[in-house]
Amino acid sequence: MPRSPIRSLSFRARSVALPALSHALLAVLPARAQVAPPAAPPPARHATIALDARLATDAGIRLGDLVVVAAAPGIPGDTLRVAAFVRRGADPSEVARAEYRVRMHLADLQRVLGYGDRVDRFAIATRDSAATTRAIAGINAAAFGFRAHRSRDIAIETSRTFAVISRFHKAIGVITIGASAIFLLCIMLMKVEERRRDVAALRLVGLSAASVVRAVVIEAALVSVIGSGAGVVLGAVASRLVNAWYQQLYRTPLTFSLVTPGIVGFAVALSVVLGLAAGVLAARRLVRTPPLALLGR
Amino acid sequence: MIGVLAAASLLRHRARTALAVAGVAVSAAMVLDMVMLSTGMRESFRSLLERGGFQVRVGPRGAMPFDGEATVGGGAGLLDTLRAIRGITMVAPVLGATLHAPQPGGAVAAFALGVIAGSQGDYVLQEGHEAVADGEVVLNDPMLAAVRRRVGDTLTLATGYDPQLRTFSGGRTLRIAGRVRFRYLAADQRGAALPLATLQAMGGDARRDRLSLVMLRVDPAADVEAIRAGIDAALPRVSALSTATALQQAEQRLSYFRQLAFILGSISLVVGFLLVTTIVTVSVHERVGEIAVMRAIGVSRRHVVQQVVLEGLVLSLAGSAGGLALGLVTARWLDSILATFPGLPESVDFFLFQSIPALAALGMLVLTGLAAGAIPAWRAATLPVAATLRREAVA
Repeated sequence: MPRSPIRSLSFRARSVALPALSHALLAVLPARAQVAPPAAPPPARHATIALDARLATDAGIRLGDLVVVAAAPGIPGDTLRVAAFVRRGADPSEVARAEYRVRMHLADLQRVLGYGDRVDRFAIATRDSAATTRAIAGINAAAFGFRAHRSRDIAIETSRTFAVISRFHKAIGVITIGASAIFLLCIMLMKVEERRRDVAALRLVGLSAASVVRAVVIEAALVSVIGSGAGVVLGAVASRLVNAWYQQLYRTPLTFSLVTPGIVGFAVALSVVLGLAAGVLAARRLVRTPPLALLGR
Repeated sequence: MIGVLAAASLLRHRARTALAVAGVAVSAAMVLDMVMLSTGMRESFRSLLERGGFQVRVGPRGAMPFDGEATVGGGAGLLDTLRAIRGITMVAPVLGATLHAPQPGGAVAAFALGVIAGSQGDYVLQEGHEAVADGEVVLNDPMLAAVRRRVGDTLTLATGYDPQLRTFSGGRTLRIAGRVRFRYLAADQRGAALPLATLQAMGGDARRDRLSLVMLRVDPAADVEAIRAGIDAALPRVSALSTATALQQAEQRLSYFRQLAFILGSISLVVGFLLVTTIVTVSVHERVGEIAVMRAIGVSRRHVVQQVVLEGLVLSLAGSAGGLALGLVTARWLDSILATFPGLPESVDFFLFQSIPALAALGMLVLTGLAAGAIPAWRAATLPVAATLRREAVA
């Protein structure tokens, strides 16, 4: 049986509100579930709309379906044909927002909203940074009622939330590093104390305190490097799990956890430095004790 | 006797014991912080929503209250409909807008609320009186500071700015009737409130008879959820949110923090477990000869198990006590970081200490410490006595 071009969608009789290109709200109604008829009979060739892929999945909408778009629920709107589905971008500011987004041709959106010949903003592409500076200066000096901003400045202003989250993550990282340092020092202390008798014997046969310290420190470095290697593998696996979990949870391609060579280098270096410091502390404590005392005599 | 032996074992290596306690304390602090984070946000938002005494919020369909600039038309009719619903004892309409105060150095913008004095739940009066009459306005401290005015002064405010003509529209000179603190605004956010009718009139046709939100107070004997669902079903232009549904939506947006809290709290518990297990295992390993002698002279397995488990328990308890203090300090630090979120209401706390969840979290860490001591304790209790004594004597 051929599928009707106007799909009947019974999953939701109510409309779905959508923040559109402007800050206005749109209501998209599956064509047969509409509560009000379109303002005019649909033309032979419908204007097109691109829907959020999540909306398409949730509403069971397919390419070619007709939807009615209105500025508010319950008022007449325009009938548009679904021409594309769009995945939302990797924008952190949208992650926790459940609203759907749609893309329409500017003229269609202006008509639906009754917005006239108005736009919220223009985006301007320039050749290079110097051209951007000249363009901003020129527009701000000559334009009447406009203000030009560098994209980078807008990004900084709108990413204040993420700067806070970044500071929060760093604070958690500081606490974690503190805990790791204590753990490492504890382990090294125990490992060295386990070797009390061996060290005592070595000292009694004439090995210098400096040689003992060097041996212990080398051992600590090896333990740290091996532990760091295991930690890098564990971290990479955990990072993949975190990304897989949050990406399916929020239905976003955003990368939540990133393991970069810089981060790996920092983690390994920090771990080795902490391990060496713990080894030196433990070894110095050991060589200060007389060999016979180490043997328990 | 068991306690004395366990204490002697821990005090034999003071540095190691101190480090172990410090390690457990950091883990406990992290567990406590994460519990405070996961429960604190919910309770803090609940407290914020319930502070005004309104249980249901009605706004434009499909949008969270004040999440955009959407408004509902036919405000008077909507209010009549809501007032007629059984169980609703108070209806408080609100219109949100941005007001501009032309100043010599440039216009100062503020978030403004049109409310009906006496039935509003958005601000707390701190000085003067509410904006009751047409032509009155109340401002918060950041706005008063920005326009350099005091209670009793007058201020010209406009609802619109035409960038083409660079002129303000909907301007009016109002008398500052009072100084207020807004419940839902950030500490540094400029705010103003004026009679609903005044703000609607200043907004012209665009805001005539329009509302951003209606807050409803419900009779304590009435079913809030039933009223909410009834409004949602009967009025297609609006969405009704009860405190519970509003909390659900807020939680959805903040689910990242709740999940982060769960993951970090779980990792901290595992780290605490590993630390106590390692310390007690090494301690038992060092004392196998001593334990074998105890077993040889007739000390029971149960006694040995109790002593080793007690060591783990003491480490966990001491660490948890330290963790409680450390956790409160770090929670305050982390909260001060998250409090800088742009637009976050001043009274929202991400980390909220609640004794029962906090003690439950620390109790879980202590139980983890007990479990961590159980493994080496079993090993100590099942040592082959003769073989261990022979090996230790040779050593």
